[in-house]
Amino acid sequence: MAVIDGRAAAVPVLDTCREVVTPEGVALRLPAAGPMPRALAWLIDFMLRMAILVAGSMVVGMLGRGSMGPYLILLFSVFWLYPIAFEVLWGGRTPGKRALGLRVIAANGAPVGWLAAFARNLLRVVDMLPFGYALGLLVSFGDPWGRRIGDMVAGTLVVHDSRTPPPATTPPAEPMAAPVVLLPHEQAALVAFAERAPRLTQARQIELAELGSPWLQARGDTAVQRLYGIANGLLGRRDPGPHGSGQHGSEQHGSEQHGSGQHG
Amino acid sequence: MKQELFVRRHEPEWLALERWLDARGQARKARNERRGWDGIADHEMPARYRRLCQQLALARRRGYSPVLVERLQQIMQRGHSLLYRTPPPRWHVALEFLLSGFPRQVRAERGCMLASLALFALPLVVIFVAIQLKPELASSLFDPLQLAGFENMYDPKDPERKLGRDSETDLAMFGYYIWNNVSIGFRTFASGLLAGLGTVLVLLFNGVSIGGVAGHLQAVGHGDPFWRFVAGHSAPELTAIVIAGGAGLRLGLNLVAPGRRRRIDALVEGGIRGARLCLGVFAMLVFAAFVEAFWSSIAWMPAWIKYSVGAGLWTLVLGWLLLGGRHLGPTGEHDGGAA
Repeated sequence: MAVIDGRAAAVPVLDTCREVVTPEGVALRLPAAGPMPRALAWLIDFMLRMAILVAGSMVVGMLGRGSMGPYLILLFSVFWLYPIAFEVLWGGRTPGKRALGLRVIAANGAPVGWLAAFARNLLRVVDMLPFGYALGLLVSFGDPWGRRIGDMVAGTLVVHDSRTPPPATTPPAEPMAAPVVLLPHEQAALVAFAERAPRLTQARQIELAELGSPWLQARGDTAVQRLYGIANGLLGRRDPGPHGSGQHGSEQHGSEQHGSGQHG
Repeated sequence: MKQELFVRRHEPEWLALERWLDARGQARKARNERRGWDGIADHEMPARYRRLCQQLALARRRGYSPVLVERLQQIMQRGHSLLYRTPPPRWHVALEFLLSGFPRQVRAERGCMLASLALFALPLVVIFVAIQLKPELASSLFDPLQLAGFENMYDPKDPERKLGRDSETDLAMFGYYIWNNVSIGFRTFASGLLAGLGTVLVLLFNGVSIGGVAGHLQAVGHGDPFWRFVAGHSAPELTAIVIAGGAGLRLGLNLVAPGRRRRIDALVEGGIRGARLCLGVFAMLVFAAFVEAFWSSIAWMPAWIKYSVGAGLWTLVLGWLLLGGRHLGPTGEHDGGAA
């Protein structure tokens, strides 16, 4: 367990990721959500709450005055308990947050607990001051992780739910060595390019690849193919697999069996 | 090591971890599928998880591709949120908190609680006495319409009417008291974040208005129905507001004077302690609402029964707050961290 993530400390990160070093000594990167998606999530929740209250008032209207008491208890629950219950019982998500792909977590990356959810929702009272969450908005603009006051006091954070990444494959190309010596971060950039480029348009791929033209000594589609080849070489792919993804898949499968055989 | 070799070597481990997280990540699902599980054994999970953390650190250090790092980080995040989640609340823990943890926490904040009590009770008593001496003071606190409303609610000439209300049913008032009183309690705490000023204002305002109403009704001769009405629920209700005020003052104090901590750390601590106090305040106010709606309003009950029940509730509440949890030893400044 002695491996320490050296890069995390050395390179300042230029986005809203919060790095939490877990007890295992590895940084967990949590993509904090900004005010805009949170406001939208709140709006969805707000409309849902209004719908519940309208439905409740219709029931009250039908049953007469005797059901005023239950209606007021419903009002209380919708106002105070709705966010708390959803955030604790539904993995940190209210329906609005779920729609926007957000999630409340504790600042150390663990799921949010009862007390923290309770505290952050009670303190909405302060964030709402003087009207329409103005204070909370102002504070969250100043905070590097977009937290409102309630989040700070409760020790919570609203993050974007991580999506399942697409499978990590580079396009098949003859592995080749780079014609120049590449620094580690340049190697990483090349591999990242090869993994993401297939989802870009042809023109954009070429445009990006031609940044390397001076040392690739190629232009257009050839430059793209050469970069793919170099990336494959960097990744250590021996088998070029030039005939499409079918063969590539079987190669993956074979390697898995190889791996498990090695362990067993 | 080249990335491809790294992936090939560890891929089976990751797949097994992902499979475990999919199948056994949720307690309910895990219980249903306990039999017939052939993946990683549950007790091996922490060790497997630490291995994954090491692999992620290696992958980052060696600059492997973002997609791979992202995948490992996701497995790690899922494992982390499973291993470090807060334990689910259990009924006997909740009961224990209510019986001994909450009173201990209140006593641990005795300074703030006493300050809150002073801010609430002093104006109440002062206004009450002042109105007895100069009854016309009441009209400077409330407008004539409000005064007429109070007098009407506690009219001694109408003994059949319910006390303390115009025509609403008990159930409607129960709902109203929960909505209104608990919201006031929560706001009293939360507004402490405005450097304590919000809490101070709420406490002063409530003290003045309650003292004003009581003083006015006493002065115009409607005292008897009023005291019969408030005798029962005053104990849990007033103490709950004072406790919420104390929690708010603690929060404000932690903001203004964090001591030898970072301000944010002091605030987080004050917030969590305040939230625990608010849980107790919530329970007390719901109980008070119940008493207020279904007991206090009964008009035909002889006064001596009402007053003895009121005295009993005061003894019970104060005894609970002062003695609850004594068997666990003395309460200190940093009490109530665990429950």
